[in-house]
Amino acid sequence: MAKAGGITNAVNVGIAVQADWENREFISHISLNVRRLFEFLVQFESTTKSKLASLNEKLDLLERRLEMLEVQVSTATANPSLFAT
Amino acid sequence: MSAAATMPMPREASNYDEISMQQSMLFSDSLKDLKNLRTQLYSAAEYFELSYTNDEQKQIVVETLKDYAIKALVNTVDHLGSVTYKVNDFVDEKVDEVAGTELRVSCIEQRLRMCQEYMDHEGRSQQSLVIDTPKFHKRYFLPSGEIKRGGNLAKLKNVEGSFDGEDDWNQFRNAVRATIRETPPPPVRKPILQSPSQRKPQRSATFSFSSIATAPKKEQDKRAVSPHRFPLLRSGSVAIRPSSISRPTTPSKSRAVTPTPKRYPSEPRRSASVRVAFEKEAQKEPEHQQQPSKSKRLLKALLSRRKTKKDDTLYTYLDEY
Repeated sequence: MAKAGGITNAVNVGIAVQADWENREFISHISLNVRRLFEFLVQFESTTKSKLASLNEKLDLLERRLEMLEVQVSTATANPSLFAT
Repeated sequence: MSAAATMPMPREASNYDEISMQQSMLFSDSLKDLKNLRTQLYSAAEYFELSYTNDEQKQIVVETLKDYAIKALVNTVDHLGSVTYKVNDFVDEKVDEVAGTELRVSCIEQRLRMCQEYMDHEGRSQQSLVIDTPKFHKRYFLPSGEIKRGGNLAKLKNVEGSFDGEDDWNQFRNAVRATIRETPPPPVRKPILQSPSQRKPQRSATFSFSSIATAPKKEQDKRAVSPHRFPLLRSGSVAIRPSSISRPTTPSKSRAVTPTPKRYPSEPRRSASVRVAFEKEAQKEPEHQQQPSKSKRLLKALLSRRKTKKDDTLYTYLDEY
C-alpha cells in the first residue's frame, strides 16, 4: 500500500511538474509577444517622433518663408511706385 | 437625384466631411479603448488572483486566465495596429500637405523673384543711356533741305551718326553743295548712235559753241527749276564715270518727237562736258562735209576713232573743270 501511494504521488508530482512547465511555456509565449508588442510600440514611437520632427522642421521653414514672402509683399504694396510703368 | 446632380460639389464635400468625422471618431474610440485596456487588464489580474486563492477549482481559473490573457493580447495588438496605422496615415497626410504647401510657396517665391528680376531689368534699361539709333544704308543720303525741314535735332544727329566718320560727312556735304551749284542738264536727250546723214542738218543748225555760251538767261532759269535740281545722290556714283556717254541734244521741235532715253540722277554732272564734246564733234563735221568723195568705210573708221577721242577729251575737260 505504501509503495502504491508513493507511485501515485510521484505520478501526481510529474503531472504537476508538466503542467507547471506548460504554464511556464504559455507565460513565456505571452511575455515574448508582449515584448514584441512593446518593441513595436517603441519603434512606432521613434518613427512617429522622427516624422513629426521632420514635419515640424518643414513647418518651421515654411513659416519663415511665408513670413519673408509676407514682408516682401507688404513692402511691395507699401511702395506702389515700384509697379508704375 | 436631381439635387445631387445639380449640386455635386457640396454633396462630395459633405461626404468627405462625414467620412473624416467617422474616421476621427473611430480613432478617438480606439484611443479611449487603449487607455481603458490598461485598467481592464489590471482589474482582470486582480479578479483572477482573488478567484485563484479563494476558489477550489484552480485549474479552471488558470485556464480562464490563459484564455483571457490571449484574447487581451490579441485585442491589444489589434487596437495598437489600428491606432498606429491611423497615426501613420495622418502624419503622412500632413507631410504631403506640407510638401504641397512648400511647392506652392516655392512657386510664389519664383514668381516674386521673376518680378524682381523684371523690375531690375526695366530699371536698368530705364537708367542706361543707350539709344538705338536707326541705321540707314551708307550709300543713300537725303538732301540737306529735307533734313533741315525735318527740324528734329535728334533725327539729324541720327543721320549724322549713321555716317562712318567725319570724312563721310564732309563727302556728303560736298556732294550736296556740288548738286546745288551744278547747272541743270538739257531736258531732252538723243540716242547715242545715229547715222551721219540724220545728224548733218541738225548739228549745223543747233550745235555751236556760241549758241551754248550765249544762251539766253531765261532758258538757264528754266533749267534751274527742273525736277532734277535736287536729285537723290548716290555716294558711290560720284566717283564712278561710266564708259558709255550719252549725247545731249538741243531742245528743238523736231527732236521733241524722238524717244528720249531714261535719265538718271547722277548724269547731270556730265552734261556740260558732254556738250563740249559734241561741239568738238560739230567742229569736225565740216571736214567730213568737205570730203564727200571718201568712201563709207573710211567714214566708219573715223567715227570709231572719234568715239575714243571723245572720251579722252571728256576726261581731260573734267580734270580741267
